[in-house]
Amino acid sequence: MTDASELQVHLLDERDWIGATEVCHLCRIELTAVVELADLGIVSPRGYAPEQWQLPATELPRLRTVGRLMRDLGVNVSGAALAVELLEEQHHLERRLRRLERLVHENGSY
Amino acid sequence: MEYRDYYKILGVERTATADEIKKSYRRLARKYHPDVSKEKDAESRFKEVQEAYEVLKDPEKRAAYDQLGSNWKQGEQFRPPPDWASGFEFRGGPRAGGRPGAGARYGGAAEDVFEDEGFSDFFSSLFGGAGAGGPFASAGGRRSRTGRDHHAGIDIDLQEAFAGTTRTLELKRPKLKSDGTLDLEPHTVKVTIPAGVAEKQLIRLAGQGEPAPNGGRAGDLYLEVHIRPDRLFHLEGRDVTLTLPVAPWEAALGGPVKVPTLAGAVEMNIPAGAQSGQKLRLRGRGLPGQPAGDQYVQLKVVLPQANSSEARALYEEMRRKLAFDPRADLVR
Repeated sequence: MTDASELQVHLLDERDWIGATEVCHLCRIELTAVVELADLGIVSPRGYAPEQWQLPATELPRLRTVGRLMRDLGVNVSGAALAVELLEEQHHLERRLRRLERLVHENGSY
Repeated sequence: MEYRDYYKILGVERTATADEIKKSYRRLARKYHPDVSKEKDAESRFKEVQEAYEVLKDPEKRAAYDQLGSNWKQGEQFRPPPDWASGFEFRGGPRAGGRPGAGARYGGAAEDVFEDEGFSDFFSSLFGGAGAGGPFASAGGRRSRTGRDHHAGIDIDLQEAFAGTTRTLELKRPKLKSDGTLDLEPHTVKVTIPAGVAEKQLIRLAGQGEPAPNGGRAGDLYLEVHIRPDRLFHLEGRDVTLTLPVAPWEAALGGPVKVPTLAGAVEMNIPAGAQSGQKLRLRGRGLPGQPAGDQYVQLKVVLPQANSSEARALYEEMRRKLAFDPRADLVR
């Protein structure tokens, strides 16, 4: 094991846009699936021809989830898109629930 | 190393058909997939299931695996017999198909659990792959002359997301062994996570993925940030919400109160006549960014207990002097 060296990092945020080819590589997903996901409103690319699209870096996590669900569970694009939306909604509701439970726990009632 | 009973892991008989194996894999993948599962050990179970399916779905690997015999028990100490797989084609190079999608890490605290981490030593000893980039790594999606990107999750506290933090990560990079297979060599790196990182945001570490074949560009390492729930603040995007207990007279009369923020306590003015549940905004006091998030302060009026004669007298006086009926709109 070598000594720890300090690395330069780049935080991908709303200002970062990534080319469709790179997105497909990163998310292990076909371009046709990205096009379908755009039609479904799951991603919001900019540009004209899909090969030249750019997508916001903030959408990479959900695209990677779509890719995983398609590969691992054998669902199609529409199914994976629906699952991702439901998972995100579930995640959001769980966070709210945790917060409300904490309030109830701290105060007896709210 | 321990023997892995791939049939037992997938819950099928040794005589199972390809279709039965596939069905069982689908069922277990759905049950343990880290993106959807609530099981405690979902990730490790999912990797086991993937590994088992990787072998049993491939007729050659399955045949080679079956050669080991059926007397082995799951967990039993194992060493492959010499030349055990001679006559099979899978040694010596990548095969189409490769590993099924590698398991993602969601939840857990370790920073060094990588999505593209390889299968078990048992698998490697039999089929030659040793994790990401091994002979069985997926050829799909690999760009020519560029190493594969690696992905990992990283858990941080809200305060660390606000102020930035550093982490020492243990990474593994493939190294060619003398027998032509790849081994994973650990090395540690220190990563500075900038202030203002948000939930699910990606951090790119250029060149820290898989080395490229033939001297091309190495892949990148992507870290997906997960912010642990905080005791005081509820995070929503870049905004945070804090519930602030206030006394009835602070709400009624207004005035300055001290409020915790991510950057430390600040003084905030409560407007006169504020109600429990009312939200006040401290602009720009959420997570840093372009633009920075806000902090919302939700007031919660807390009543003092009438547990002394003086306190009871004060409540009695309010009852006599204040024409106040909180149920006026409900009961007429």
